Amino acid sequence: MTLRLPPQPGEWIDRATPVNFTFEGQAYTGYAGDSVTSALWGAGERVLGRSFKYHRPRGLMSLANHDINVMLEDGTAINMRGDVLPLARGMELRAVNTLGGLKGDKYAVLEWMAPLLPAGFYYKAFHKPKALFPFWENVIRRMAGLGVMNPQAPRGEAIKQHRHCDVLVIGAGPAGLSAALTAAKKGVRVILADENARIGGTLGYDHAGQPTALETLARLQSEVASHPNIELLPAHYAAGWYTDHLVPLVGPSGMIKVRAGKVVVAMGAFEQPAVFRNNDLPGVMLGSASQRLIHRYAVKPFQRAVVLAGNDQAQRVVMDLHQAGVEVVAYVDLRPDADCTVIRQLGIPIYLGNCVQEALGKHAVEGVRISRWDGQGHPDPDTSMTIACDGVAVSVGWAPAAALLYQSGCKMRFDDAAQQFVPERLAPGMFAAGRVNGIYGLEAALEDGERAAREALGLATGVARAAETGSSHPWPIVPHTANKNFLDFDEDLQLKDFETAAQESFDNIELMKRFTTVGMGPSQGKHSNMNAIRVLARLRGEPIPKVGSTTARPFFHPVPLGHLAGRTFHPERRTPMHDWHAAHGATFATVGVWQRPAYYGTDKAKAVEAEVKAVRHAVGMIDVSTLGKFEVHGPQAGELLERFYTGHFVNQRVGTTRYALLLDEAGVMLDDGIVARLSNDCYYVTASTSNAATVYREMTRRLQTWGLEATIVNLTGSYGGLNLAGPHSQSLLKLLTDLDLAALANGGVAEGMVAGVQARVINVRFVAELAYEIHAPAQDIARIWLALEEAGRSVGLKPFGTDTQRLLRLEMGHFIIGQDTDGLTNPLEAGLQWVLANDKPFYLGQRSLKLLAEKPVSKRLVGFMLEAPPATLPDECCLVLRAGKIVGRLTSIAQSPTLGQVIGLAYVASEDAAPGSRITIRHQNGRDVVATVVPTPFIGVAP
Amino acid sequence: MKLLTCPINGPRPLEEFAYGGEIREMPDPQTCSDSAWADYVFHRDGAPGPKREWWYHVPSGTWLVAERDTASDVVSRTYLLGEA
Amino acid sequence: MPYQLLKFALSKKHPEPAFFRQPAELKPSYDAVIIGGGGHGLAAAYYLAKEHGLTNVAVLERGYLGGGNTGRNTTIIRSNYLTPEGVAFYDASVKLWENLSQELDLNLFYSTRGHFTLAHTESAMRTMRWRAEVNKQMGVESEVVGPDVIQAAVPELDMSCSGHAPILGALYHKPGSVARHDAVAWGFGRAASEMGVEIFQNTEVTGLDIRNGRIAGVHTSRGTIKTGKVLSAVAGYTPRITKMAGFDTPIVIHPLQACVTEPMKPWLNTILVSGSLHVYVSQSSRGELVMGASLDPYEVHATRSTLDFVEGLSSHILDMFPFLAGIKVVRQWAGMADMTPDFAPVMGKTPVEGLYLDAGWGTWGFKATPISGKTMAHTLATDKPHELIHGFRLDRFRDFELTGEKGAASVGH
Ligand SMILES: Cc1cc2nc3c(=O)[nH]c(=O)nc-3n(C[C@H](O)[C@H](O)[C@H](O)COP(=O)(O)OP(=O)(O)OC[C@H]3O[C@@H](n4cnc5c(N)ncnc54)[C@H](O)[C@@H]3O)c2cc1C
Repeated sequence: MTLRLPPQPGEWIDRATPVNFTFEGQAYTGYAGDSVTSALWGAGERVLGRSFKYHRPRGLMSLANHDINVMLEDGTAINMRGDVLPLARGMELRAVNTLGGLKGDKYAVLEWMAPLLPAGFYYKAFHKPKALFPFWENVIRRMAGLGVMNPQAPRGEAIKQHRHCDVLVIGAGPAGLSAALTAAKKGVRVILADENARIGGTLGYDHAGQPTALETLARLQSEVASHPNIELLPAHYAAGWYTDHLVPLVGPSGMIKVRAGKVVVAMGAFEQPAVFRNNDLPGVMLGSASQRLIHRYAVKPFQRAVVLAGNDQAQRVVMDLHQAGVEVVAYVDLRPDADCTVIRQLGIPIYLGNCVQEALGKHAVEGVRISRWDGQGHPDPDTSMTIACDGVAVSVGWAPAAALLYQSGCKMRFDDAAQQFVPERLAPGMFAAGRVNGIYGLEAALEDGERAAREALGLATGVARAAETGSSHPWPIVPHTANKNFLDFDEDLQLKDFETAAQESFDNIELMKRFTTVGMGPSQGKHSNMNAIRVLARLRGEPIPKVGSTTARPFFHPVPLGHLAGRTFHPERRTPMHDWHAAHGATFATVGVWQRPAYYGTDKAKAVEAEVKAVRHAVGMIDVSTLGKFEVHGPQAGELLERFYTGHFVNQRVGTTRYALLLDEAGVMLDDGIVARLSNDCYYVTASTSNAATVYREMTRRLQTWGLEATIVNLTGSYGGLNLAGPHSQSLLKLLTDLDLAALANGGVAEGMVAGVQARVINVRFVAELAYEIHAPAQDIARIWLALEEAGRSVGLKPFGTDTQRLLRLEMGHFIIGQDTDGLTNPLEAGLQWVLANDKPFYLGQRSLKLLAEKPVSKRLVGFMLEAPPATLPDECCLVLRAGKIVGRLTSIAQSPTLGQVIGLAYVASEDAAPGSRITIRHQNGRDVVATVVPTPFIGVAP
Repeated sequence: MKLLTCPINGPRPLEEFAYGGEIREMPDPQTCSDSAWADYVFHRDGAPGPKREWWYHVPSGTWLVAERDTASDVVSRTYLLGEA
Repeated sequence: MPYQLLKFALSKKHPEPAFFRQPAELKPSYDAVIIGGGGHGLAAAYYLAKEHGLTNVAVLERGYLGGGNTGRNTTIIRSNYLTPEGVAFYDASVKLWENLSQELDLNLFYSTRGHFTLAHTESAMRTMRWRAEVNKQMGVESEVVGPDVIQAAVPELDMSCSGHAPILGALYHKPGSVARHDAVAWGFGRAASEMGVEIFQNTEVTGLDIRNGRIAGVHTSRGTIKTGKVLSAVAGYTPRITKMAGFDTPIVIHPLQACVTEPMKPWLNTILVSGSLHVYVSQSSRGELVMGASLDPYEVHATRSTLDFVEGLSSHILDMFPFLAGIKVVRQWAGMADMTPDFAPVMGKTPVEGLYLDAGWGTWGFKATPISGKTMAHTLATDKPHELIHGFRLDRFRDFELTGEKGAASVGH
């Protein structure tokens, strides 16, 4: 049976493009422009999904993404919302969360257990006996959840864009359109976004049987489309509001992050369901949903309808239904005194002061039972009667789509006359128009949009007109002894669940939300929060303002992770010699953002051994371009370093280098490097790769606070560096420079030409007794590298990587900050008293060290050798024990190819710090390994 | 994310900045007591309210001072140190 | 179906009594006052009544029970910390958790899933080894495992993390669990209330009455009460209370954010944390993925959400699970984390006599709820710090004896 109507003016479907698809294995045809739900409803289907908890049959409710009755999966994507999922050719859809298919869902037995499962039932059971909980938990987990995730689903690439505008208008209904046009005409840049594929909002479907709305829409549409100041973004929903008016607009293919000067929220209102028994039966739908079906999709919602009214809007629905050829068999108004002149003329039976007590039918509506009531939730059973029908259109009230207003810090108040929350005090730069303000009439909405825009532009400071009365009924809720009167359709919450919660002390709006889970489902309370507040207010015997509302957190509609992630960027930094390393088989390691060769080749052990050998017996070369490199200039450059680092620098001779240790104010070791004095007022400073940025940042900050006359230049990126190490390093380097290398012994520094390039040569002893660091501008350093490589071939020069470097420095007995220290290590523990120039008046951390020096040092960093190394070495960070107690850990360990011994660094009890002491290391395999404390450097020490 | 106004570069997204903590006066290390020093090193006025803070604009390497209310997260003023 | 549920079907009226007695008026004085109706405050009330017979106690909560960080947290419970003090403390907590549903007769959904802290770098591997060794030494089940074990537990995990951060191994902690946060507050509150403790919601402490360095009472939004003992268990509000008391602590407040997806059928059965990618994830019993990341980088005393948080988190989650791209995030939120410099809490006595502090819970305090309640109750009742909390005393900063937990607590709460 098809329910397609003849072409409707303004319809969204393209009748020339039929679209075939399947649902639950059955073939259907709809049209391009349909949503999946409209196509199925048009094809006469009623049961489109199952409810979350009781697996009750569910149909179409809001057709606006305000409920999740129709949740679909296609084998790849899950939890797709049929109401707003554009129909596409070849879709193969199933309802989520059924056992054995939608029609025969075996989980439906759960409905019979409903009496066992009141709100919060799971807190009261399953935990005794304790041993059975895992079993029950498994059952519960399996029952919960919606779609079945597919681990093969593609990652996709959603696009992220940025936009700026003066005014962002969210919602392109009458109020939004009017606001956008008003602002655009004043010459500012406007973005107008709407979640629907087409703009117009209610103008597109709320016609009351008249053509006027469409005429207005056509006029506004063409004005908006032709206005150069307006960027129109249909099919984009505003997912949230963030500080300084950042609003992400989520569309089909990506996310547009809009930074707006001002924001006008014209997002309308969510129509609210009435609460009566079986109000979820397929065929019961919101009035606005029935209007959308007719005018957007040209689908007849039902053949014979009952309209349940609680507001003036309902009669517009009646007229639209009537015009679409639906027989309205009863107009049931919760109010005793509505003016029904217009529909009376249509000959529709009218029942004032009546409520729908229940909908009748098994899988779809077959009738309703109505009765008189007092408007307060007390039906008079003596007056009840049944009316046969195949659908119920419900128009009883609204709740504002105010989520973004809440997020921006707007204070809302409950307007008793309008029975709606409306903005009381908007946040700066935020404006509201239309139904969020409780303004429903078309003319009034257009006017309100204009007012909001003028206020946003500072052209007016008008007062928003008062919210209209008569749009929302104060109590659209009918109790029923047999229940199944749902408040929250996502969570299958019935009226009695709220009474239960209140009885159990959860009578605070937030606690009630948490206990019942109202509003916590995927629709986030769009159709349930308002009624929950009404119910709670009544249970507490307090007015709604005293009950308040829950916080509306992002997102307005859920946002796919892929949209939020966008394309992922993983930037990396490469040194000037990167291509050479790659060409020479380097295995790279990621060090912060840098790519550095760890060793050359693929067999790590072999490569490292060969590289160590080259450095110890011939010469090796490592790329150290990643080091932090700074120049400090000025008359007080030395003074700055003197306060910054622990050593002396003011009296440092030009042409020499000194070790530089940086502490934080608590005396903890942060970084180390060297300071080279290049001239009287210029120092060249290095910092470790991973701390380069922090050290520079901290040094510049201290420079400002101390107010010294000095300048810091960060050369980290603009200079490259290499370290040439090993017995032949001097003779090799001599071939390429005229500098007097012998004069550089003991940590000298000189500037001059190396391989035709202006460079700085520093004698350093981190990895070998004889070694030179050569620093030069980044664009030149590779020339030195290549020249050395060529010249060094005959003497066995080998490049080496960071893994080798770690081993070499260990043989030299040097620690690495971050590996051999942790976030609390101080220099007293690391044995660095010699670099603490305590005769200075001040350096960072000095005062804390003074305090620490008065306390016993409980552990110290020492070198050790294993007495009888096990086949597998203890891992770094294995514990050092003393009488069964943890006293420290080993921080570095390696088989030294040079010594043929296993050497390492470890924290040991101070009592054991003297060379010759024996310490116990607890191997990761649980056995104890004995080591001997030895002096460092290891090299040159007899085994 | 928020915007913060760098005195050199104008309003920039907060992700370009690093937070440097409250600007605090260091006691004279020569004369202050051990516990006054420990207070300075570890203790903070953690209560919400207006504070003068260090912020660093990372791409340009600019330290600036921001006057910010830590309760509302509203920045009332930014300037370079010494230009207050 | 368990028989406990039958009573619901068999009785005409809903058979459950109120959870909490909520007296209308404050009494003029109490033996002890607890500020903060989060998990910690309510647990302390419970143990005070149960183990120390102290029942003339009021719990004052400015909002609603569990509405602070308790009700916002992502509920990871574990004891695989780094310092011996931390491991002993959290292990004692895990032992209490294991029987808590039965003890409180409320199903807390305490679900032991196993907890993997993924390591993507050599240095992370070293930290994992360190934690594993300390844990083993203290009798806590932890081990460094290789990629094969991780892949077997989570076959869906992209071990290369989209090629950007290959997983080298993990610290596996079998006792790692999750629980229903709200229920924990309600359970402790109900049990305390049954023993006579009075719980007041919408009651804010606005000042402390301190005389000669001793606590004498508290001022509240509903009047003043006298008491000789006050426990402050207010997490993100701690600096406001210590300001009332007139002393500073190292605690600063940074927002910590989290988010949750739509429900899906169960597939992720463990808790995963990645320090390098700054994310952690578990699947709730409702089927949602509960996800979080590291702390916001600066001080704010508010619970606003940011877009960059959820953007960054999404991108990292997709590195691990590319197929989740179409899964939707429903909701994001934030709490106010009370951070300390060493990532260990601040517990015990304060410069004000009779005022006790249970704070510095930062991003990691939910798991400590039962043990902090128990140890603070002991401390309050006896005026002697419980031995398990020695490493967490406020004085440790003055003494430069920090309890360095950063390596174990920075991302994996
Ligand atoms: C997003 C997030 C994720 C987290 N994830 C984890 C996790 O996975 N595992 C973990 O172990 N921990 C986690 N934590 C940390 C954990 O939530 C907290 O450390 C813990 O819940 C603190 O409990 P509490 O009872 O001390 O504080 P809260 O629950 O915050 O309770 C303090 C209460 O004090 C009240 N209060 C404050 N001031 C006053 C006053 N003046 N008068 C009266 N009442 C007052 C507050 O309203 C609040 O209810 C997370 C935290 C957040 C924010």
